[in-house]
Amino acid sequence: MISMTINGKVVKAEKGEMLLKVTRREGIDIPALCHHDAVEPFGGCRLCMVEITKADWDGWKNYVTACLYPAEDGLIIQTHSAKVNELRKGVLDLLAARCPNSPEIRELAAEYGVPQTTLEEVPDADNCIMCGLCTRVCERLGFKAISTVGRGHSKQVAPPLNEAPPDCVGCISCAQVCPTNVIPYKDINGKRTIWEKQFELIACKECGKHTITTDFADALCERRAIPRDYFDVCDDCRRKELSLKMGSIVAWSREGTS
Amino acid sequence: MKQRLYVKPELCTGCRTCELACSFTNTVDGKPRRSRIYPLPAGYPDMYVPVVCLHCDDPACAKSCLVDAITRNEETGGMELDQDKCVRCMACIAACPFGCALLDTQYDQVVKCDLCGGDPVCARFCPTKALECRPAVLTTRKKLAGSSS
Repeated sequence: MISMTINGKVVKAEKGEMLLKVTRREGIDIPALCHHDAVEPFGGCRLCMVEITKADWDGWKNYVTACLYPAEDGLIIQTHSAKVNELRKGVLDLLAARCPNSPEIRELAAEYGVPQTTLEEVPDADNCIMCGLCTRVCERLGFKAISTVGRGHSKQVAPPLNEAPPDCVGCISCAQVCPTNVIPYKDINGKRTIWEKQFELIACKECGKHTITTDFADALCERRAIPRDYFDVCDDCRRKELSLKMGSIVAWSREGTS
Repeated sequence: MKQRLYVKPELCTGCRTCELACSFTNTVDGKPRRSRIYPLPAGYPDMYVPVVCLHCDDPACAKSCLVDAITRNEETGGMELDQDKCVRCMACIAACPFGCALLDTQYDQVVKCDLCGGDPVCARFCPTKALECRPAVLTTRKKLAGSSS
């Protein structure tokens, strides 16, 4: 255990833990768009910048991304100093110019004093901030169906060759973790469409409620050795099944004792 | 010490106190629909079963979680879901053979019983002790076979 000072408060942390994790545990709100605990820290959005210094640094300060900086003994951290807020404002100004139509970005930018971007807005903006969280999560899940393609201005998140991705199983984790909700998917009549690929949703045998896609269930059965019939019935019907089964056991034991 | 939540349907009166206790402890607004425990009719007159996560020894939810967000808390023995790690792929909800991983539609997140960190509130409030939390007594098949011989 080491101790650091965050905004004047002494905080205990494990050595090597990332600063963002420590501040979140302490309930300090640091904005971060590209971070998700399921994947390795990335440092893409640069919004989690904090000011660090140490007593023996002779007043020198450093500005680092909290998601990528490991905790050290004796660090003095400022999460919302004037300079840090200025840095975040600059980043949000750029993001607001890139994604002028994204409500999430606009809200965050307004919070840091950027109600309107001072730069020229990107024409035909698509709200993607290029943080790559969707591709990293997809890789973490082991499907690797999408990736960033192109460099510079033409960089975008896309399946290989811009065709329906063969490795995608339709788990929609990419859409769920996207910080600006830009990945579209549709669940209509037991069919799910994402990345222009269509999937069949499993319909509950009892009530017909749709759960996950058949491809995802097959992948789970194969990789995690889960019996395929676990996916046949929805959670509501499973609970009813369990209560009826336990009820019959209780009734049976009552008969036996009386 | 590892805890187990013992469910005894023969003592349950279906008063739904556990549901209220759970929803007021674990959710913001205490809606009974958001509870992690469901007292359901058991198909016989005046018989109810509080259906709650059984914290299986070989849990399908943890096996189905590809980002390992569901892990066993070795202190309490309960399977806990790390909300920050969850990517909401809903695999655990579909995989649980007892339907005890739930989707909170209001906040769009997966929720499940976590034994309230070792002291389940539902068991504390249960008036008939149909729910009881006590240290786990492991009676595996091997042990049972050994004791009978």
